[in-house]
Amino acid sequence: MARASVQPSQVLDPDVDDATKSDKPWIVIVWNDPINLMSYVTFVFQKLFGYSLEKATELMLDVHHKGRAVVSNGSRERAEFDVYRLHEHGLWATMEHETL
Amino acid sequence: MGNDGARNIVKINKGPVVRTNDGTYKLALPKDHCEVLTHLITELRDSLLTTTDDSSLRRLFPTAYHNDVKKDAEYQRLMREELLASRLASIETALEVIGASNELSESEIDAFARSINSLRLVIGTTLDIAESDYGDLNIESQQSNSPETEPHEEKLIQSELYDYLGWLLEWTVGAQSEGL
Repeated sequence: MARASVQPSQVLDPDVDDATKSDKPWIVIVWNDPINLMSYVTFVFQKLFGYSLEKATELMLDVHHKGRAVVSNGSRERAEFDVYRLHEHGLWATMEHETL
Repeated sequence: MGNDGARNIVKINKGPVVRTNDGTYKLALPKDHCEVLTHLITELRDSLLTTTDDSSLRRLFPTAYHNDVKKDAEYQRLMREELLASRLASIETALEVIGASNELSESEIDAFARSINSLRLVIGTTLDIAESDYGDLNIESQQSNSPETEPHEEKLIQSELYDYLGWLLEWTVGAQSEGL
């Protein structure tokens, strides 16, 4: 079987306008804060997103040590919903377009 | 992020929040604790009903779009009232269950936990808690340098309440985690 050839091609870097941006997924970020308990943050990640204890703890430690962690992604509506639920639980969450 | 809220508290033998085998919760707090909590949560409710713009309440209404002022303004316009209503509903439930002798449902203990955390956020903001403060709020060492004894005592009381709420929340989350 012939191997498919992959050749480099020139890709123009387009201006990023709103239409292009709207195609990108949104990410939800939880930021470190000195007040929320580590155990509480871990519990909220498990409860809201269904993460395992290991995954939730890993994200919580990222928040604690790196200052932030991406906890979910998706459409703008989905991200706003997640941000709202995190705010309901007192966590400092924001959202932005994924930058890759 | 805050560490173990129980660090500076001498634990009593049995926790104040217990998950039962049938998935309900028992909240067992001494009467004086119930009175203090009821007072604090009622104060928080009254503050929220007066304004949401007070600087001590800012952690309860965070920014959603940290790098887009216009989108955040729109988000706040649409969601702030809903968030306020959610907080007030949790507070009303918390006020009902504090001191209650009956067993609590999952949603009741959740409302209690979120209200305790809201209180902690407000008191922590007032105390200007920083990451480096954990384990040593250093209130006592500030006393000798401060001529204002009364404000200092107020801060000391708030610091003790902050620690107490951390201890209580730690137990509550521990019980809730058993149900995951």
